[in-house]
Amino acid sequence: MRFWDLLRMSSSSLWKRKVRTVLTVLGVVIGTASIVVMISLGLGLNRSTMEQMESYGSLTTIEVNEGSGSSMSFAGGGMAIMTTASSGDEDVKRLDDELVEALKQIPHVKMVSPTLRTSVIIKSGVYEGQVSVTGMEPEYMQSLGIEVGQGELPVGKNDLEFFYGNQVLMDFYNSKTQRYPYYETGELPDIDLMNSPLFVIFDTNAYWSSQSSGEEGIDGVTPQPPKKYMIKTSGIAAGGPEEWNQHSYSVYCDIEQLKTTLKRIFKNKAIPGQPTTKVGKPYKEIFYNQILVDVDDIDYVAEVQTQINNMGYQTYSNAEWVESTQQQYSNIQAMLGGIGAVALLVAAIGITNTMMMSIYERTKEIGVMKVLGCDMRNIQSLFLIEAAYIGLIGGLIGIGVSYGISAIINRAVHASGNEMNLSYIPGWLVIAAIIFAILIGMIAGYFPSRRAMKLSPLAAIRNE
Amino acid sequence: MSETGQVVISVKDLYKIYRVGDTKVRALNGVDFSIYKGEFCAIVGTSGSGKSTLLNMLAGLEKPTKGQIVIAGEHMEQKTENQLVKFRREHIGFIFQSFNLMGTMDAVENVALPLTFQGIKKAERMKKASQVLDLVGLKKYKHHRPSQMSGGQQQRVGVARALVVNPEIIFADEPTGNLDSNTSKEVMELMQKIVREQKQTLVMVTHDNHLASFADRIFHIIDGKIVQIEDNRKNREGEEKNKENSEEKKKEEITEINKKEAGE
Ligand SMILES: Nc1ncnc2c1ncn2[C@@H]1O[C@H](COP(=O)(O)OP(=O)(O)O)[C@@H](O)[C@H]1O
Ligand SMILES: [Mg+2]
Repeated sequence: MRFWDLLRMSSSSLWKRKVRTVLTVLGVVIGTASIVVMISLGLGLNRSTMEQMESYGSLTTIEVNEGSGSSMSFAGGGMAIMTTASSGDEDVKRLDDELVEALKQIPHVKMVSPTLRTSVIIKSGVYEGQVSVTGMEPEYMQSLGIEVGQGELPVGKNDLEFFYGNQVLMDFYNSKTQRYPYYETGELPDIDLMNSPLFVIFDTNAYWSSQSSGEEGIDGVTPQPPKKYMIKTSGIAAGGPEEWNQHSYSVYCDIEQLKTTLKRIFKNKAIPGQPTTKVGKPYKEIFYNQILVDVDDIDYVAEVQTQINNMGYQTYSNAEWVESTQQQYSNIQAMLGGIGAVALLVAAIGITNTMMMSIYERTKEIGVMKVLGCDMRNIQSLFLIEAAYIGLIGGLIGIGVSYGISAIINRAVHASGNEMNLSYIPGWLVIAAIIFAILIGMIAGYFPSRRAMKLSPLAAIRNE
Repeated sequence: MSETGQVVISVKDLYKIYRVGDTKVRALNGVDFSIYKGEFCAIVGTSGSGKSTLLNMLAGLEKPTKGQIVIAGEHMEQKTENQLVKFRREHIGFIFQSFNLMGTMDAVENVALPLTFQGIKKAERMKKASQVLDLVGLKKYKHHRPSQMSGGQQQRVGVARALVVNPEIIFADEPTGNLDSNTSKEVMELMQKIVREQKQTLVMVTHDNHLASFADRIFHIIDGKIVQIEDNRKNREGEEKNKENSEEKKKEEITEINKKEAGE
């Protein structure tokens, strides 16, 4: 028999038993759709978390924070958090230059980048904003892959210069009305960061004290407003106010210049955000807020991290998190896929059952075909193709249904304010699912098809 | 006359023994005969005499317990099931008692079915099937489904289906068993005509002596043994003259058969 004729005969016999075919196909639809949706959830979760992780930074970087005992808080994202370090606990393992040198000695460490953060107030005309300035080494700053919109990174400058993220201006408010123009009108305050003069107040404590006039300062003396410094802008990150990236809210500068500037301004006074001794005196040294250690390969991250931990510091790396989330997601995926597999198994049993019924019904027809000289292998093929058709149709509809369910899930996730696509159906999954459904159909149809092949032609002769 | 023709089927010492529990049923108990090309043979006997068993074995649907069947020079008893299917596809046509047409196919498609199994292209097989349907007088019924045709018409489709592959030999097991006597006669006349015109070889099984009289030779079988081979062609010469007599004779025969069947 010609292949085309086999296909035609199989499909017409399915068509002849429409209701039963539809019901059997339905089983495959449910099975395929559940597998595909389950896998798509796993893939979507995995993909969006991987994207998220990448946006959080490198996977080979270890963050080193100071050892336990202290709760040093930083002013982050422009919020005024002024909790200074707990009364100088001498045991606290602080992040200093000595540690930087020590870390550099650890094998597989590629780069050690200390960062120093301080919260400052920037004034321009009527607007002011409190931002966190992060000092880092030029080499490290360049490795961050910041897209520069205007100007350049503050590298190789003679004086302290700031580099602004593209969304920093969002947190500027009108100092007279106390209103945030961005959050009220959707437009950034019209400050030309590159060209207009920006005045920076480092001693924010003194500034806040002087603002609340009439009250007494810490020392019982009426506080004087602190000195303002004009800091040049070296550049601005690329992107509009809506385009967030991990540098959007940051202000970067050279760490050494920040250190010298802070020392010069504060002399022996306590710098906001820096720890003090038990009696409340500042240390001579300026301690770093964080040290980032870059490892040459993701495989050594855990090893280096343990070593630093053993030195008494707190560490954190994405590698840990990536590993555990990936593990978690592959577990979820395996479980969800398993549910789908069970559904398909049930569908397969359905196919076998339908085919067996069909063969019992068609015993005579099959016998006639054998008497008329239809090849045994052709008879088997007819039934295998029928089963494969059920798989194919079920698979195709199942894919359609999966896309529908996937769209609904994603819409629900988006509606709840999350941008990520929880369900993701890539092309390979579509193809794999259809092939799998066909295969399931054929496996389910194999036993019945052999049975049909072996039926006796005498069944056709007998008169019932 | 027939002895000078070419042998198409030769059966030697054929036995078929069924075991039912402890007892043995000798359905065929030593059968020998030959059938020649272009002959119309009838195998006649009472119910249970072994006619169908014989025909099934000739068509390769069952294996003999013992003996030889040579058809078109090939030993049927030595073939595997696959080879038998292939042999039937190429050399044998089959007409069933209950027609056994495919309900979802129309007349042409049914007739073309054996050609489909041979792997012949659609256009070609439809053309051929259509020609054969013309031959059996179903020009107007080509696109009727079995359910839209009378029994006689359905069996004509059955005859056409057997003819379409241009087989060496056609087997028919009680081809008119499901038809009334008038329609039976029409179908028998059709088969007779075609065998003559197409020079086909036809082996037919029947329990009806009158229907058997359409054949060239009649094999009488009783309890699995061929007891008499009657050459009908000699009888037929006087047939025209004795037409009235034969009509009476037929009636007698029918009543006789009815008695027999009632007796069983
Ligand atoms: N499959 C079988 N098993 C046992 N006995 C059978 C079988 N087929 C036929 N027979 C017996 O063989 C004998 C001949 O049967 P059959 O050829 O069908 O007779 P008929 O001449 O009516 O066609 C009968 O006695 C029947 O009971
Ligand atoms: Mg019989």
